[in-house]
Amino acid sequence: MYVGIDVGGTFTDAVLLDNDHVLATAKVPTRDGEELLISILEALDSVLSGVDTKLLKRVVFSTTIITNFITSYKYNDVALLLIPGPGLIYNYFDFGARTCILSGAVDYRGREIINLKEEEIKTVLSELAAEGFKKVGVVGKFSPRNTMHEKKVAAMIKDRYPQWHVELGSRIGVQLNFPRRVHTTYLTCATREPYCRFINSVRQALVKRKIYADIYILKADGGTMPLDISEELPVETIFSGPAASTLGVQALIPPKETAVVVDVGGTTTDLALILSGRPLLAAKGARVANRLTQVRALAVKSVPVGGDSVLKCSGINIKILPERLGPAYCMGGPVPTPTDALRVLGFTSLGDGERAREAMDLLGKALGMVPEEVARKVIDLVVDKITAEVQNMFLEWEQEPAYRVWEILHKHKVRPAMVVGVGGGAAGFISMIAMRLGCRSLIPRYAAVANAIGAAVAKPTLQVSLRVDTEKGYYIVQEEGYQGSLKSKKFNEQNALDLAREWLVERAGKYGVKIVPAEIEIIHQETFNMIRGWVTTGRLFDITMQTPRGIIENIGPREVVK
Amino acid sequence: MTGSINHKTGLIFFPAFDWAISPTHPEREERLLYTRDQIFEEGIMDLPQVVEYTPSLASIHDIARVHFCVPQVEEQITEAHLIAAGAGILLADEVISGRIKNGFSVVRPPGHHAMRVVHGNRGFCNINNEAIMVDYLRCRHGVKRVAIIDTDAHHGDGTQDIFWHDPDVLFVSFHQDGRTIFPGTGFTYELGGPGAFARTVNIPLLPGTTDESLHYILDNLILPVLNDFKPEFIINSAGQDNHYTDPLGSMKITAQGYARLTEKLCPDVAVLEGGYAIETALPHVNMAIILALAGLDYSGVREPDYWPGRFKETPERKEAVRRMVDELMGYWKNRDNYKPDSRDIKDDFYLREKEIFYDTEYFVENQVEKLRLCTNCQGYLTIESNVDHIYGSKSSVLCISIPFAACSKCREEATNLYVGQKKTKKYRYIYLQDKSEDTFVGYDTNNNKDWHS
Repeated sequence: MYVGIDVGGTFTDAVLLDNDHVLATAKVPTRDGEELLISILEALDSVLSGVDTKLLKRVVFSTTIITNFITSYKYNDVALLLIPGPGLIYNYFDFGARTCILSGAVDYRGREIINLKEEEIKTVLSELAAEGFKKVGVVGKFSPRNTMHEKKVAAMIKDRYPQWHVELGSRIGVQLNFPRRVHTTYLTCATREPYCRFINSVRQALVKRKIYADIYILKADGGTMPLDISEELPVETIFSGPAASTLGVQALIPPKETAVVVDVGGTTTDLALILSGRPLLAAKGARVANRLTQVRALAVKSVPVGGDSVLKCSGINIKILPERLGPAYCMGGPVPTPTDALRVLGFTSLGDGERAREAMDLLGKALGMVPEEVARKVIDLVVDKITAEVQNMFLEWEQEPAYRVWEILHKHKVRPAMVVGVGGGAAGFISMIAMRLGCRSLIPRYAAVANAIGAAVAKPTLQVSLRVDTEKGYYIVQEEGYQGSLKSKKFNEQNALDLAREWLVERAGKYGVKIVPAEIEIIHQETFNMIRGWVTTGRLFDITMQTPRGIIENIGPREVVK
Repeated sequence: MTGSINHKTGLIFFPAFDWAISPTHPEREERLLYTRDQIFEEGIMDLPQVVEYTPSLASIHDIARVHFCVPQVEEQITEAHLIAAGAGILLADEVISGRIKNGFSVVRPPGHHAMRVVHGNRGFCNINNEAIMVDYLRCRHGVKRVAIIDTDAHHGDGTQDIFWHDPDVLFVSFHQDGRTIFPGTGFTYELGGPGAFARTVNIPLLPGTTDESLHYILDNLILPVLNDFKPEFIINSAGQDNHYTDPLGSMKITAQGYARLTEKLCPDVAVLEGGYAIETALPHVNMAIILALAGLDYSGVREPDYWPGRFKETPERKEAVRRMVDELMGYWKNRDNYKPDSRDIKDDFYLREKEIFYDTEYFVENQVEKLRLCTNCQGYLTIESNVDHIYGSKSSVLCISIPFAACSKCREEATNLYVGQKKTKKYRYIYLQDKSEDTFVGYDTNNNKDWHS
């Protein structure tokens, strides 16, 4: 049996699954701070009453706590030590933190081209110490190609200020993008403490209920990582909430379907795409609180329109404002909302019908329209906004850059067959959005806890990125921060694949993840022959391997509510 | 273009990581690898001043508008060529529409050695990405005057050939002296056809020329000429083999030199051409060009082994450059007073004979080019082209090209020539390229079949 728990900002949802059977679901309010433990326990108790916890194989969590923490983060206690070297002038990027620039540079091959200056580092460190900083991110340009500089700075810090919390860019941002590596490292520094509090609550809750199953946390890309690894990389959990909903929908619709997931909330509607049964990954790392990160995430788009959005009449037009002043008018709120329009047209039975008409009247008076006309106009507006964004997402996906001839030739047009609604406000809008897009509409039975289902069915995943430079005779395993040397220059592609596989299996062993070697997938593979003066002098291999992302069970829509 | 509403620089980065001429050829998969690493690591694509595009494919029609490919376009190109040509077209469209202020097409394969008639690969090029963009702009957007500034170390002989007789396209090329490098042309006396005199400007530079001379030429020749010509659109054939580390070229230009050059030229679209110092030059030079186009500070872009003042110009070279600039400025100033040599004219046709060497595939093409001297238009052009392949096969083709603003008499004559020659069986293939009507047809004498692109 599997348990999935989604700790959201407002509600904590939980489900208990036995293969493809949903045995129990729960929804409890999320409490703040120290009381978070109580919410997790309430949700667990609700789905586990009368269940022998020894039968639990796995408990998977997803959460928006880190996203929320980042967006409301107001402290200024993280300092950045950057080693940008020559190139783009670093001050084009405002990293929003105390930033110190160190001398030194490494190039794209990992060669040291400018040395570090020890005296300079010492001075900078004592300055930071005097200013009271204890959290430091050390990030070098091209550091994934040579971790030496970052490690040396870290060692100097450890020597002088052993109590400081230090994060290295090469461990956190393994892809080639220095500014994003800086942001991601910064966020890792900033979120480590609150994240530890969160996982301590999780650990306590499980110990209290004597649950000794494997514990995982969902990542933004729909994969999961063991709770212990997640402590090193808390930012990977940003947007695990939307990822959970998307995986939930993936489990709740027929396999291989191409669908749009529409999660209508109070003031925003989240959109995600499932292409031939697989959730679409964003081409670039996630943006959080205006910081571009290297965190791989599912392509989720937030449209600032929801059931409780404020409606306003301006001239002869009705406008949807991206804010919420309270519940819908028909539920006793202060202003007309799209929910009121749904109520007038009979798409929902929420709240008071008379108050809903009153709300439409408030809007329509100036336009000389009857409530039904106004309501239709409002719904049209909402549906227009959402469908335009859906179409945009498909367009953006088609226009993603490609760097190989075959990728350009194999780009093709895909359009969804199905619009799947989840979230509180979905009911009224889904069928109309589907009609506009020429698709079927579906609101699966467990739509309300789709996120917890998504967490429960998510497969454990692990990843290893290997970089080999046979001319320079070294290799790096990015996730482990390991830099080793090659024994032989005759190192071929198969050797590289084997080496990556070995490291992945070893990493899996370390974290107790069971992997089936046959299932390991290569998600990125590059081989370049280095030719100098017409002779092959070496090879470059870049390989990323992972255990497959995905879901363990397809539950299907069950009783379909249309 | 003036009147741009958007201030972003469009970037198409297409390294064609799965395309090579041959595994160890300079034009191979690895060429843009380190450039990719540098651009990505710097986060260039995330800059608010930069917008990345994915290339679209050029059509066969777009290529037939420029080239006579023997026997047909499809036989001379791969998909990679369509993508590289399509990238330029896409950026040109975006600049014209005002969605971007300028663009840089960092693509492979290159194109500036591809001439009007294409029998095979020359100087790593099959089709001419810039010429295809120019004729696309004229056909689709009604652009009249275009300038192409070729800053590759090799003479842009293909581009020169295509626009030799075209007074509306200014072609300026500076390059390493043709006596010392492929393709062995590009001397100051190559100035264009009788109707387009000095619209071709060649600036051969001695090996070892530095930033200083380059910028002297820019300030005292190229920029004043551009200022006189007043192009509606400027294209930069941005080859990077003038860099001091290039293995094929022997010049001493730096990344900073290239950045300042780009800043001064202000091209609407820059297109990557050659440049084979894939580790030591390309990552830095491409970065420098992108930053200069985007109006960003490029002062931090510098090669690891460069220091200001490393390369100094000799007084002799300075003097030689000064004399050449004066000579070329003289031609430019007298561009409208030129009278062609009467020995080159026969029955109202201006004749030019050419021998073209295909270095990649090792054969020679012989051409007789005839320009109809017309008082009402630029005149139509015919090219008789013969190739003796070393493996014994021969092909003889006739190419007829009608310019964009052709007069009705020239059009009629050219069309009659096409129809008439079909019957003579003198040529294996006959082509009629009518730019004024945007129709391109061909004829295979062996099987009596017409086709159109």
